[in-house]
Parts: sequence; structure tokens; C-alpha cells
Amino acid sequence: MSTHHYRVLDRANGALDAAAALDFVSDPGFGGITMFVGKVRELNHGRQVVGVSYDIFEPLALVRFAAIAAETEKAIGQPVKLWIAHARGRLGIGDIAVVVAAGSKHRDEAFRACRMAIEAVKHTAPIWKQEHFSDGDSVWSEGCSLCEGHQPR
Amino acid sequence: MQADVQLFGALRGLEPGDRLLLEITGHTVADARKALMAHAGEHWPAAAAAILPACAFASSSMLLRDAMALPEDGGLVVLPPVNGG
Repeated sequence: MSTHHYRVLDRANGALDAAAALDFVSDPGFGGITMFVGKVRELNHGRQVVGVSYDIFEPLALVRFAAIAAETEKAIGQPVKLWIAHARGRLGIGDIAVVVAAGSKHRDEAFRACRMAIEAVKHTAPIWKQEHFSDGDSVWSEGCSLCEGHQPR
Repeated sequence: MQADVQLFGALRGLEPGDRLLLEITGHTVADARKALMAHAGEHWPAAAAAILPACAFASSSMLLRDAMALPEDGGLVVLPPVNGG
């Protein structure tokens, strides 16, 4: 059975399931379980946000999620279960955009694995965010270039 | 050669169906970047064309660096700067 799980879920087909993520990374041998849940918030740079649309190049995103999980487990140097899932499509305020969960023997490894994985998802996965504002304007957020020589911010 | 180029993120809406057939002189990703820059300069708003230097190129399974050969299947994806989560 795989110890890593990756998914891109269209919002129209359902919501990301944080409880399922916790179940997946739980293990009788693991005492540390951590999770990051990213939600859509109502304010950004002082502007009222009414929703966010996520665009994802799914084939490469899933390849990237798998690589992130493998790289994270290697860096931690201990067995780690990881769940990485990201929503696609139009989300409302409070909707879950991303879930990363990690399970390991101890809290330090679990915290580090979760942080490492979510940062890598944010900075290296082919995902784009467009914010929709209350005045009707929509703006693609600035991001991290994946070009050679660019360092993740 | 001709490449079937897919556009994402801030580049959506610039071409019908978010893709274009791009005629490329040469066989490397750098050649594709040059051809797309030329196309953008003629057909896209300046603000959209200005994003291209920060865009990466990819196949469906990997990032493609400028010195690499273009995919044999002719598929090419343009990735603007990313910001998931």
C-alpha cells in the first residue's frame, strides 16, 4: 500500500476532505500527525475577495506532488506518510484550497515534513490563482517563476 | 517544426481554446520561446507578452529547460509563475 497520496479535485465534484487526509497519514507506528489546510480568505491587500479560481495543469501537478512527497521523505530521513491534495475551479470564501498532511514517528519530523511539502506545492507545482474581488475585478496573483535560475520566494 | 502550445493561468484567454499552433524555427525549447515571444509581440497585449520571460515550458511530465530538445509529440505547455495553495 502506498504511503503517499496525491490528488487534484474539481470543486464542482466535491470539497477536499481533511478528515480523510488525517486517516490516511495515521499509522500505529506514528505518534506525530500534522496537517496544513489552506482556505480562501475574504481580504487580500485590503481588497474584499468574493472567491478564488484555481487553474492547474493536472498531469504535471500530479508528477510534481509525487516528487515532492519523495523529496520530503528523503529529506526527513524517516518513514513519512504524506497526503497532498489541491482544489481546482471556483472556490468561495472559507472553501479549502489545499490540504497537506504528514504522519511520522515524532512531532518534529511530522511538522517539518508538512511544512516542507506545502512550501514546495506553493512554489513549484503548476497551479495558478485568480482572485475575484467585490468590485467585479479579477486578478491573477503573482507567483514564483519555474524558469532556470529563479529561486522560490 | 510546429508545436501545439497550451496556455495556463494569466495566459488563458489569449488564444481560442487557450492553445495555438506555433511554427518554430529550430528544435530546442529556446527556439520555441523565441517563436512565442515573436507571436506574443504581434498578437497579445503588452502586459501579457511581458509575462513570457518569467514563464517556464513543460511537457505533460516534466519541466523543459531552454537547452533541451522539444518533445517529439509536438506538445508544449507554457507555465506562468505559479502560486498554488
